[in-house]
Amino acid sequence: MSLLDLFLGALLLLTGFLAVRLKNAVHAALALAANFILVGVVYMLLEARFLGWIQIIVYAGAIMVLFVFVIMLLYAAQAEVGADPLPGLKPLAAAVGVVGFLALTYAFAGAKAPLAAKAASAALAGGTAEALGPLIWQTWLYAVLLVAALLLVATVAAVTILRPGEGGGR
Amino acid sequence: MNPFYLLVSAALFALGAYGVLARRSAILVFMSVELMLNAANLALVAFARAWGSLEAQAVALLLIALAAAEVAVGLALVVAIYRTRETTLVDDLSELKG
Repeated sequence: MSLLDLFLGALLLLTGFLAVRLKNAVHAALALAANFILVGVVYMLLEARFLGWIQIIVYAGAIMVLFVFVIMLLYAAQAEVGADPLPGLKPLAAAVGVVGFLALTYAFAGAKAPLAAKAASAALAGGTAEALGPLIWQTWLYAVLLVAALLLVATVAAVTILRPGEGGGR
Repeated sequence: MNPFYLLVSAALFALGAYGVLARRSAILVFMSVELMLNAANLALVAFARAWGSLEAQAVALLLIALAAAEVAVGLALVVAIYRTRETTLVDDLSELKG
């Protein structure tokens, strides 16, 4: 664990915290976008370069733009105003979060890597598209096809849900 | 292995869980769900780094595509609910009646 790792980890936690705490939805979305970009950087550090770029393009680019667009569309930037109907919920939610963190830490503590860090790093070949390509288009081909079909279905569903007239929009 | 990023991913997942429970706007709840998904992806990549296995990276790639599909449908639902109920607060959507 280097100083850079510590720095990135602290920034990740800070932006994640801001994303779930900031009142203004646009600010929260920007904090989340920063979080996603940082995760992309961490991917590149963890020998997953292709995934790092995909993370930045798809998550920090496409998905966050969609979020900001919907916030603008629905005038939802100041959504959380007015009296809180469940004032005791936040400490309870924080307790659930802490318990979840401890449970995950406990689960991770049992993991023992079979390889030394150097050998594992060599096996990943940098995680470039060249290294990942054969795996995706051979071993995981059917999964890729299923996900592609799912994306198509999701696109059609999104359009159908929002079609004016029958069904969704009234 | 270097468990540092696994700890970070667990903390991000916990933060996302907190957000899902504590946020009141459906859009912000949804953003917290994205944070949790992302934490799971980070754990996958950290495990891939420790095990020297590219399989986990392939799964993470598929998960990113799945998250994109999920966001498309989810945000469409939020917009559709806003059209009929003129609210994005989950507390106002507590009845089953349409």
